[in-house]
Amino acid sequence: MTAAHERRLRELRSRALVRAFDHRQCRHARGVWFRLRRLLALAKEAYALPRDEAERLIGEGHRPDPVGSAIEPPRVILVVPAERLARIASARPLAVRLSAELLSTECLALVPFPA
Amino acid sequence: MSSLPIVIGVGFRDRLIATIRAARPVLESPGVLVVGSEVPNLLEKGAAATLVVSQDLDVGVPVDRHAALKERLGELREFEPSADEPSVWIPRTPGLLELNFVGIDPQQDPSEAYVLEDDRLPLLVFGALSLVSLGAEVEIEGTRLSLPRPAGLLLEKLVTDRTGEKGERDLLVALGILATSSPEDLDELEVLYRPLRPELRHAVRSNLTILSLLAPRSGMPDPLPRRAEVAALLRRLEAADPEAS
Repeated sequence: MTAAHERRLRELRSRALVRAFDHRQCRHARGVWFRLRRLLALAKEAYALPRDEAERLIGEGHRPDPVGSAIEPPRVILVVPAERLARIASARPLAVRLSAELLSTECLALVPFPA
Repeated sequence: MSSLPIVIGVGFRDRLIATIRAARPVLESPGVLVVGSEVPNLLEKGAAATLVVSQDLDVGVPVDRHAALKERLGELREFEPSADEPSVWIPRTPGLLELNFVGIDPQQDPSEAYVLEDDRLPLLVFGALSLVSLGAEVEIEGTRLSLPRPAGLLLEKLVTDRTGEKGERDLLVALGILATSSPEDLDELEVLYRPLRPELRHAVRSNLTILSLLAPRSGMPDPLPRRAEVAALLRRLEAADPEAS
């Protein structure tokens, strides 16, 4: 076997071990990134909200997604219909991406893709 | 500046077509199929090759066709095996892509790999390629070559763990396949997905979330206009998976 083939086999087997570990951990702390990515992947749009607007939405019955409290510092992440969000003039649009800007947003509102 | 992507596309297509012509002896060997990043390009109308710019042509060799393929290697005059990695054949002249021979063993576990030892053409046999099966035959400027069925190739791309730049490029290749897939292809994808082991199904869904959040990059399909399709596929696979909820 060539050294290159040996190296690629070793890398592939390492990744398979990490994948199995990731799967075992997906409902625990290590799975938080998957759960956050999933939430974002299902979101058509993302907005940064002022704290008081996020609290108003929670008061209306919008429940923060648990993934927001699983990261440190905790974030408020709300999934909100586009029509409701359109009434919040101070909502600031963000690119739906794992960017520093999005990840550092304290109160995040996500508009889901239509089911 | 607005014409730059077109200029890149035309130049790249010329290289791809020239490579296919030069690799005709192996590409027309029975059972052999193109499996990698060039497939979305070749699935486009007229093999337009506007979706993915890459540096190699992946040639999938079913292990039971390896002996027959070797008999054709002598006709491959415009390439020579790389000294470091003899399953990679390097062009002798500029203007061609590398040929990267990979093995396919339908009986293999999708998360394993092995080396098919051979003095002339050793092959890395990737388990995920066991999900790939022979699909359409197309004629590209006089060369008849076989492509995989899109569903199996899409699943292979999504089940494979890769990291960094290469990983992101491979996911964008998956997006290119998704872009050219029909509703029937997605039905087939779900059928192939269901019997996978739980950690492989999780890997597929995890890779879809990564794909959805990637930034656009030059020479690759743009994920932004296709995020809704990715979300729909993610929801569909979750619905088909009792462990996903």
